[in-house]
Amino acid sequence: MKFDEVAPGVWPDLIHPAYKSTVKRGPLQPALRIEAPVPVSRNIAPAPRILLPHDADLTRRGEQAPLGEKIVVTGRVVDEDGKPVRNSLIEVWQANSAGRYWHQRDNHDAPLDPNFFGFGKMMTDDDGRYRFVSIKPGPYPWKNHDKAWRPAHIHFSLFGNVYAQRLVTQMYFPNDPLFAYDPIFNSIPDEAARRSLVSRFSLEHTVGEEMLGYEFDIVLRGRGATPFGL
Amino acid sequence: MSNNDTRITTSQTIGPFSHEGWQWAVDACAAARLETSAPTLVVHGILYDGDGNPIDDAQIEAWLPEAAAAEGQQDIPGFRRTPTGKAGEFSLRLSVPEGRAAGAPVAYVTVFARGLTKHQFTAVFLEDDAALDQSAILAQVPAARRGTLVARKEDDGTYRWDIWMQTDKETVFFDYR
Repeated sequence: MKFDEVAPGVWPDLIHPAYKSTVKRGPLQPALRIEAPVPVSRNIAPAPRILLPHDADLTRRGEQAPLGEKIVVTGRVVDEDGKPVRNSLIEVWQANSAGRYWHQRDNHDAPLDPNFFGFGKMMTDDDGRYRFVSIKPGPYPWKNHDKAWRPAHIHFSLFGNVYAQRLVTQMYFPNDPLFAYDPIFNSIPDEAARRSLVSRFSLEHTVGEEMLGYEFDIVLRGRGATPFGL
Repeated sequence: MSNNDTRITTSQTIGPFSHEGWQWAVDACAAARLETSAPTLVVHGILYDGDGNPIDDAQIEAWLPEAAAAEGQQDIPGFRRTPTGKAGEFSLRLSVPEGRAAGAPVAYVTVFARGLTKHQFTAVFLEDDAALDQSAILAQVPAARRGTLVARKEDDGTYRWDIWMQTDKETVFFDYR
């Protein structure tokens, strides 16, 4: 595949002082653009057995149903030509409905839910579509500054169809009042690029009286995919 | 966003809480249960920030495309993932098949961390690789910075490779075209 240079302002700033930990962790040199045929043409190929029962239903990992607002999240993963990114691994992880992660370093004073661990994985189908069931995560404080609260979000890790498509990002929910105050969201200079991370409510994907639907489409870098295996 | 909108989806930091969700793949490629028909070696090092402090909550992935065939029994052939430890340390046992392409890296490496708003691609080479001067990748790296991609052999036979996010030792990170 071909990887065009990303337009200015689309990627978040690597040094964004309002997000304090970027200051010493973001590279100072620009990434070196190089020709490398292998990363733009090949990828990992996980064995199908990596997918376990309920990997794509985060509400069914405990003995009982978790607390919170049950949701279904779905969308299509495509490349810059709009072609589906098929049979591609996606990982998701998130806080519970109270804004607490199942993680030993999360000391937010909010309850853990013994029935919700907040992570899963799935493969895209032949149309590039993924779908998983979860609980709407809560916002949580993160100590970056006074009254620093993250907007509710679900983390996504995508492997794409070739190695250079790898992407880790965060999906947000529509109309979150915290967007304006969040240095992580606002580390992305381009307004349209920020908006690309906001899911939309979907009545179409809402399931009866069981759960509300959210749609989050993803465009990975790269053009000119060969039909081979993709 | 409509399906006709092909503006790319941007990146966000992995944050500090990836570990539980990412552990399955760490386990799947653990050195202790690695099944490979190729010779292996260990590349290890420390991930440093701009103050020289270790980054202890990062994730490192290594991709070994030429080793995938030798690792057909693995859940993810030719792939490694490890969180950095309390001292920023990481260790990767890599399959290095005979007859791999001259000058290819022993692994393509991806770095993810809290405070890193976008993952960074890099690659690691071995200092005693006889084909190093034939590397098409290293040839594109300014000579003064090539050393940041080369692991040094230690007395115990392992290879040491530190990753620096900043400073005059800053590792070369790539944007593949």
